[in-house]
Amino acid sequence: MYSFTTPKPKPLIKEDTKLWLIFIIISVVLYISFALFLEIKTVIYNKDTESFNREIVKLKQQITQIDLQKQFIYKQKTLYEDIMVKNSLMKDSIKNLLDLIPDPITLNSISFDKNKLIIYGITPTQDIYNMLMLPPLESIFTQTKTYFYQMSNGWYKFKSVNYLKEKQ
Amino acid sequence: MKKPNISFKIPKIKIYGIDVIKNFLFFALFIILTLLVIAFIISPAIRSFKKSKKQYYQTKYTLEITTNQYKEKLTELKKLQNSNRKIINALKRDFDKNNFRLFASKYMNVTSIKEINSTVYKKDFLKTTYIMTSKIKSPKNFYDFIDALKNYKSVLRVYFPIDFVKNKENIDLTLKLEHYKLNPKKAK
Repeated sequence: MYSFTTPKPKPLIKEDTKLWLIFIIISVVLYISFALFLEIKTVIYNKDTESFNREIVKLKQQITQIDLQKQFIYKQKTLYEDIMVKNSLMKDSIKNLLDLIPDPITLNSISFDKNKLIIYGITPTQDIYNMLMLPPLESIFTQTKTYFYQMSNGWYKFKSVNYLKEKQ
Repeated sequence: MKKPNISFKIPKIKIYGIDVIKNFLFFALFIILTLLVIAFIISPAIRSFKKSKKQYYQTKYTLEITTNQYKEKLTELKKLQNSNRKIINALKRDFDKNNFRLFASKYMNVTSIKEINSTVYKKDFLKTTYIMTSKIKSPKNFYDFIDALKNYKSVLRVYFPIDFVKNKENIDLTLKLEHYKLNPKKAK
């Protein structure tokens, strides 16, 4: 058989179809790449957020620890200041009591306890004791008892026992 | 019965050799694919990306605030520690009898210091009680001794009973001393 035209090779896919397919494939690849990029960024953000959260929890624990330490320092300070104040009060109360002793009266011993004061001493007369020493003692203590013993020289040895009522 | 002829053939319309219908169908396919990808892949990705980004910046902000708070608290703690260094160190120290005798020798002649007991005080502290006997020249020595306790390196409290007994030139003084220090369990 004879043909007037020379045969041309016929492509499987036409040129314009090929272009369309390439264009569509490239577009889809670009879309998916963009979506993948977003997903990767999302994962990175999530990881960073998690690490931030862990850091926040750690910092909050440290803050709690610091607060506890601060509280403990305040507790130590309060204890220390309380002791120093109590020492000063103790000194002042003893000083005030010893300053109350009038000149004619001599003390042999004095014993301070929490709610009790016992004084041993010598007084020229019972009246001097009753006039000069008893009133201040009675004003401080809730109960005061005094015992006198006459000495050979006419002076008196005395024992004064004083009680403070405990605060309810 | 005659079978209906339902065969469908895409007509070919060509303008300047371009197949219009085919190109239109490809264009439609492209649009549909684009819309589908946007609807099912890109849009959810953008949504979760935005959500994560928002969360990231919120957490970052919280972290900054917490870090600043931590730094402030730490500075406050250091200031507090520095201003109370003397107290903190004093409460860490044990009671050294020899050192105390040396310290008290300025005011009295300490004859004996005897330990009585040791108890836990307010959970965090240890209170050890001693009975001290000494000789003083006058009550002023006792007052000065109490004043000086403020500057002693350990924390000591003078407590009842306190006895003054006149003995020739001197006064025999007996008193209770309470030494306070950190409970070793707490100190650890």
